[in-house]
Amino acid sequence: MDAPRAMASESDVKGPYWAMVIDLKACIGCSRCVYACQATNDTADGHLWNVLIEDKDHFGVPVFLTRPCMHCENAPCVEVCPVHATYHRDDGLVTMDYDRCIGCRYCMVACPYGARVFNWKENTDPNPKEGTWGSPEIPRRARGVVEKCTFCSQRLDKASERGLVPGIDREATPACCNICPTSARVFGDLRDPNSPASLALKGRQSIVLRANLGTKPRVFYLLPN
Amino acid sequence: MSALITSIRQRLFWIWIAFLLIPIGIGLYAGILVLTQGLAVTNLSDLAPWGLWIVVDLSCIALSAGAFTLSALAHLLGRETFRPIARIAVFIGFLGYSGALMCLFLDIGRWDRFWHGWVFWQPHSMLWEVTMCITLYITILLLEVFPLAAELPIFRRFPRVRAFAHRVHNNTYLLAGLGMGLSLLHQSSLGGTYGVVAGRAFLYRATMPLLFIASAIAAGLAFTVQMTLLVQWLRKRILVPRQTLFQVGQISGVVLLIYLYMRFWDTTAGSYGYVPGRTESDMLLMTGTFGISFWGWEIILGGIVAAILLIWAARRKSIGMLLMGSGLTMAGVIANRWNTTMLAFAHPLATAADPQLTVPASVQYFPSAVEWATAIGIVAGLTLVFSLGMHYFPAYQGITSPVPATKPSDPKPQNTNTPTGEVSHAI
Repeated sequence: MDAPRAMASESDVKGPYWAMVIDLKACIGCSRCVYACQATNDTADGHLWNVLIEDKDHFGVPVFLTRPCMHCENAPCVEVCPVHATYHRDDGLVTMDYDRCIGCRYCMVACPYGARVFNWKENTDPNPKEGTWGSPEIPRRARGVVEKCTFCSQRLDKASERGLVPGIDREATPACCNICPTSARVFGDLRDPNSPASLALKGRQSIVLRANLGTKPRVFYLLPN
Repeated sequence: MSALITSIRQRLFWIWIAFLLIPIGIGLYAGILVLTQGLAVTNLSDLAPWGLWIVVDLSCIALSAGAFTLSALAHLLGRETFRPIARIAVFIGFLGYSGALMCLFLDIGRWDRFWHGWVFWQPHSMLWEVTMCITLYITILLLEVFPLAAELPIFRRFPRVRAFAHRVHNNTYLLAGLGMGLSLLHQSSLGGTYGVVAGRAFLYRATMPLLFIASAIAAGLAFTVQMTLLVQWLRKRILVPRQTLFQVGQISGVVLLIYLYMRFWDTTAGSYGYVPGRTESDMLLMTGTFGISFWGWEIILGGIVAAILLIWAARRKSIGMLLMGSGLTMAGVIANRWNTTMLAFAHPLATAADPQLTVPASVQYFPSAVEWATAIGIVAGLTLVFSLGMHYFPAYQGITSPVPATKPSDPKPQNTNTPTGEVSHAI
């Protein structure tokens, strides 16, 4: 069993162990996952839950790294929130109660991945990516609260009652994974050996970002070589 | 002639009060802008989520540390000579914490939910602990200041208020004990707020709470001495015997040296045993733009020079040295809080939104006009209340009159502006 799946089997979380696997070799840096996230979660430009970072390796070959929320098992943001507005759902995902957040931004200071964005002003502009890239599925957040990627938890929540399998059925899979033209991003339950995420990890070397911090992210990156 | 001088001095006081109203007015306007327009009027960003307000908040609380330290010395350790200065310190402390709360009120994105911390408990969070402690401690400070306010002539008509004040005053030792406990908790946990942030190499260190409490004690004592000296000089009265001021200055200087020693080993050990990112962020602190405020203000002027002046002032019996030493200590701790807050964001996270995966560039943050206006307005407001308190509170009218009284039997002290001959409860 590979390391991510071993971690999933040891975790205290009951039920499926959701994870995202991003193949750095397959990613072509097209930004589609960023756009689909914007359309689905109704976020403005420059206010992204999922970002694309471009860099070059030692030989000058471009490397593209997309970064959603890591949904850490030991999430610093959950630990520091003074009002319990950021919390672990029963399935282990890190989500927020936007009605409880006071906007102190301590979670932004604490997040080692810069995965959180703050609503500095009321977002009244039309969604720049709506239509072409999807349509909003959750209400806009008010001014003055922090927000973050949810792994499209609104889709996961409906999966069981509709008899869908997240990662396989598109209606129950995060928008960023659905849209990826090269299938560089896959989602699934690491406790299921046949889920897309488990299959993608098989035989490949994977890393997590800033592993030394011990945050135990649920987003695994497959190395190019 | 002396009547003329007195009248000019009295008028100068009101000119000073009127002058303070200008920044307060601008600050109020800016504050309303923040509350109505949201934090978009600031220069804060997702990369630098905390800024000037947090620095003012941390500085206010550090400079208020004289309240718990001197109360503990006076009321728990029974150092009677520290009572007059402890009385000034609790007033400064109360104002400092009020200023800190005002800053936090502006800083949170949803000020209408400021009460959430008391209702939705998250004991895991350092900030929750800070919220609870600060709220409880400002209540303690309010109770400590209340007997001083109850001596105002206006309360003569309310004997019940005075009786209650008297009862509170009789339990000062209890308040001092509780205040010390709460202060030792939250002065440190403010450092802990930064210290637990594993993702930011510059902040993540277990020593942060200790460094914060040590620097706060030094700065709080020094600030109390400084304010006392200023009031004594401007109002031509003696509030605290010179000897006590020199003693407090010396304690402050010694604590400052202990702090600098701890700081030295914290940095040195952190650099020797390689903690990822620690050396890089320390280098950022010690060179370039941060280098000036770090070496200049934090370490040399606000640290070593300040400590030497504070300690030496007592030997030389030099009020000038004491004033300069305490002023530099204050500047040093403010520089420290500024550097600590800014450094946290100067190193972008490896995966932040900007493509800075391999290029460590500084995040640019400089407070906006609205941020400056509100911060200056808050400081001006605190200065105003402090000035009025020193003007009216019977407890701050001086223990001896510098000008010999014309009639020794006259119970009314000379050169004081409030009609009071009552003996302060707290003396």
